[in-house]
Amino acid sequence: MRVVKFFVMGSLILSVSANFSLSKPPFTEEDLKLMHEELINLVKKGDELFHSPKLGTNGLTCANCHPDAAFTNPDTFPKFQPNVGEVATLRDMINWCIKIPLKGKMLAHDSEEMKALEAYIYYMYRGRTLKPGDNTAPVPPVKVDSGPGYP
Amino acid sequence: MKKISRRDLFKVSASFGVGAVSAFALSPFLGLVEISEAKSSKRSKISPFNFAVIGDAHLYEMPNHRFDETLKRAIDDVIRMRPKPDFVLFIGDLANFGKKVELEKGKRMLDRLKDNGIPYFIIPGEHDWYLDLGQTWKEMFGKPYWSFDHKGVHFIGMNSILVEDYWTARNMSPWERMLAIAELECHICGLWGVGEEQLEWLEKDVKNLPPDTPIVIFTHSPLWDYYPRWNFQTKDAPEIRKILSKFEKVIAIHGHVHQVVYNKTGNMVHIGNLATAWPWPYPPVELPYPEIKMLRVDPGDIYDGVGWANTYIDETFLGLFEYKTWAELIPPELKKGVPL
Ligand SMILES: [Fe+2]
Ligand SMILES: [Fe+2]
Repeated sequence: MRVVKFFVMGSLILSVSANFSLSKPPFTEEDLKLMHEELINLVKKGDELFHSPKLGTNGLTCANCHPDAAFTNPDTFPKFQPNVGEVATLRDMINWCIKIPLKGKMLAHDSEEMKALEAYIYYMYRGRTLKPGDNTAPVPPVKVDSGPGYP
Repeated sequence: MKKISRRDLFKVSASFGVGAVSAFALSPFLGLVEISEAKSSKRSKISPFNFAVIGDAHLYEMPNHRFDETLKRAIDDVIRMRPKPDFVLFIGDLANFGKKVELEKGKRMLDRLKDNGIPYFIIPGEHDWYLDLGQTWKEMFGKPYWSFDHKGVHFIGMNSILVEDYWTARNMSPWERMLAIAELECHICGLWGVGEEQLEWLEKDVKNLPPDTPIVIFTHSPLWDYYPRWNFQTKDAPEIRKILSKFEKVIAIHGHVHQVVYNKTGNMVHIGNLATAWPWPYPPVELPYPEIKMLRVDPGDIYDGVGWANTYIDETFLGLFEYKTWAELIPPELKKGVPL
């Protein structure tokens, strides 16, 4: 995390002094690679949590019902969620699943675990069109041929 | 066992709304029915009967688990059926982690069927198998593949979840091996199938049967390529289909997919059974028959998205696969059963 911040800040300062009209130069390949690695680390952590019974108390995991994050539909949030009774964000829905089917303790919205779960779910739906509020036909996640579904 | 006449069958179907025959006639899948009918035998001597299919119970060790409740409800429903089904087929994944306590719990629950005069047959699923490579399961239930004849129909059950060794080279413990394959999207487990031994057995088993013999085959996984990523497949299904290709018609019933799904290949019709534990979402591929599909599931209701099935076989070897559910899961046009 720190490495990336340093890189981004570095490029920012350089760009401000070097060129006024183009306030920031594009990220270098190296910058992009590091940032992507940081994201994938979080995705990996989310993948582990998603497949771990420790979020709940009845042995179930998120993956019991959502193989490859299928049917999590992050592309449709926020939306009115009948089982929550109001417009819910993806994080609200993650917590609902932890509380009801998994019989676990809800996570703080800004916790590292919540961010990791969210990162994994979003990443498995990369490239999908955003459709906030859509409660019609769900779109499947990316089609995975082998491996965990991310690089 | 009590013989069920066509008239009785009619009565049973009628109690669900419309008689079996008129349900066929009104069915939106008329084309499909006609094909099955054309292929069904004129000469066979089937006395119509029904049997129930239960599966994918995924029992956990802890007491009073929600999956105990849903399996119990299915078993209670079957015990209350009138007329009684001739038998029950349990289609795999009785346990969740192949533990002895899980399998014992499952056996105790299934044995209630026997106590109520309903025999049951059983095949394994991957969740029953990979803690001790089937040892406990076999001690408890015997051979994982078998066949028998019943009222003019030849029934076959096979163990379709045999994978190649992914654990030895990785130095995995039995528990690690089980945990890996307990994930539907296991990406080190590889594709499973029945293997050479069972293919040879199957060949011998059907060798002397005439082509007009009605065949029903049970496997945990589908005998067609649905979504290999989740092992919604059986590696040597092409060989199985070839061995069975001499028959006029074969009905193939499978579990593992935890969903309503239907397909046809050559002389075979395939149908997926619901789990009693939880539903799987549809995978990111086209369904071969998109009209045969379950409705949206309420994840807050442990009785939604799950169920069991009652199967009628009539004297012309037309089947009717009736999904039995406890919530609004089956589209109205499928409620009278999916013709097989
Ligand atoms: Fe299962
Ligand atoms: Fe299974």
